[in-house]
Amino acid sequence: MSNERTNDRGVVPALARRALNELLRVPGAAVPGILAPTIFMLGLSAVFGNVTALPGFDGLDKYMAFVLPVGLLQGAGFTGAATGVNMARDIEQGWFDRLLLAPVRRPVLLAGIVASAALRTLIPATALICVGLLFGVKFPGFLDLLIVALLVMIVASASACWGAIIALRFRTQQAAPLMQIGSFMAVLFTAAYAPMALLQPWLKAIATVNPVNYVLTGVRQGFIGSVSWADTWPAFVAGAGLLALLATFAIRGMSRTSD
Amino acid sequence: MAAIKASGLERTFKGGIKAVRGIDIEVAEGEIYGFLGPNGAGKTTTVRMLVTLLKPTGGNAVVAGFDVAHDASQVRRRIGVALQEAALDPLMTGRELIILQATLQGMIKAEGRERSAELLERVGLINASDRRVGGYSGGMKRRLDLAMALVHSPSVLFLDEPTTGLDPTSRFAIWDEVDRLRREGTTVFLTTQYLEEADQMADRVGIIADGLIVAEGTPEALKAESGAPHIEVVLDQGSSAEAAERSLAPLGEPIPAGEGHDVAIRLSDSATGVADAVRLLDESGLSVAEIELVRPSLDDVFMEKTGRRLEGAATAADEQ
Repeated sequence: MSNERTNDRGVVPALARRALNELLRVPGAAVPGILAPTIFMLGLSAVFGNVTALPGFDGLDKYMAFVLPVGLLQGAGFTGAATGVNMARDIEQGWFDRLLLAPVRRPVLLAGIVASAALRTLIPATALICVGLLFGVKFPGFLDLLIVALLVMIVASASACWGAIIALRFRTQQAAPLMQIGSFMAVLFTAAYAPMALLQPWLKAIATVNPVNYVLTGVRQGFIGSVSWADTWPAFVAGAGLLALLATFAIRGMSRTSD
Repeated sequence: MAAIKASGLERTFKGGIKAVRGIDIEVAEGEIYGFLGPNGAGKTTTVRMLVTLLKPTGGNAVVAGFDVAHDASQVRRRIGVALQEAALDPLMTGRELIILQATLQGMIKAEGRERSAELLERVGLINASDRRVGGYSGGMKRRLDLAMALVHSPSVLFLDEPTTGLDPTSRFAIWDEVDRLRREGTTVFLTTQYLEEADQMADRVGIIADGLIVAEGTPEALKAESGAPHIEVVLDQGSSAEAAERSLAPLGEPIPAGEGHDVAIRLSDSATGVADAVRLLDESGLSVAEIELVRPSLDDVFMEKTGRRLEGAATAADEQ
């Protein structure tokens, strides 16, 4: 008897659950993803706390509110990269062959892997926001929290796609630095640590065309001011565009695994 | 209709390395086909092409009625695969893994749960079903891997070295299961480095060397092709080897005796047995300490066809 049906519906949650399983059964695995952006945020706030007096910060009194969103995107980037590393491990150990042998469409397999990153990133994001609130960052409101959650999930997904592209290309965990550097640079070349007005012209030029900068603005808006449609829609368009582009390459990589 | 049919199957890797150089294989429905070859012969590449993990660069292959290159998804629905390394998530339990595999095969959760209980019972893992796989022994992992490959009741099963590295008890458990699959009519493509395994289980055997099939047939036919059986004799003290050779001449040609033996005769008629030899020696008044009939083994066939011994052959024999 062979199963004639095409039933991919359960695959995405099943694969996401497998990835989340690791966090539930080895809780320590989540610690680096929480700790790194938190320490980064606290350290930067302590060192550069007074830069808010410079023009361009528009009277913002807490630098931590400015860099908290950077930490959120870094957390999302790290989570996505970790998904790529896990995928490389699965390739090395043969688990990935098991997935490829299933009669499941390749984009569905990728969606399952990426969905786990989108869900996992909510753990460092929640921790980071809690730390920020404890240190006096203003509560941005539930609407902004929802926007933040969706945007970091998009960034984590895009970063996971990048990780998948690298994992499928090099097929080894030794390519992990390449997976991490992608999201690190994407966040770095934005108005991450100072407003656009204070950036060097070359960095400003890059930030202007960097889609992550628009996502950062969307994530940041509620922490430093109020939520506006003008900052929200470009964030979603840029994030979704970036995700679509990277997902296309990742799917292409998956369909080439048998070449 | 053949369950597996490969015609001129080729695979050339980047850099021009030809791992498989145009092989033809035909496996009938319900047949167990043993696929043997030394490391680097093209065995794994062939299996990976047949299970759709690797696209052929030449020729074609049809598995379970579908072309592996053009209808890969249809092939995947109909085959079960247990690859060389049992790739199992050590953090998941046996039951969770079978249910996940069922989901990947398009089964709904309730079906997956039902099937997992059935299969865990079948492979003798029901008592360990809710333990994490990281704590399983090698034999348990192999049995679980086999259960996962069977979750959707495939018509063709690919087993890539299913018993390599296992202790004899675990190996026999896998053999029993394969035997059961044979009775159920499942076609099994069995890659192995244990000749005894191929000899006992396979209906037919194919030997690959340097990317080409160099021998194919039933184990008995291959062994017969490799040469007639011979007898080896150890004489009691005082009996002459030359006299023994003379008295055994009606049975066949003398050949160099193996270590510890005095006389060896290649039998001209394979129906001739030890009894005939004993009778002839007795009639000549020669006293025999030991006499044995040595039939060609698959190892001899392998040696003849590939020019080398199979890596795991000795290991398997030693472990018995």
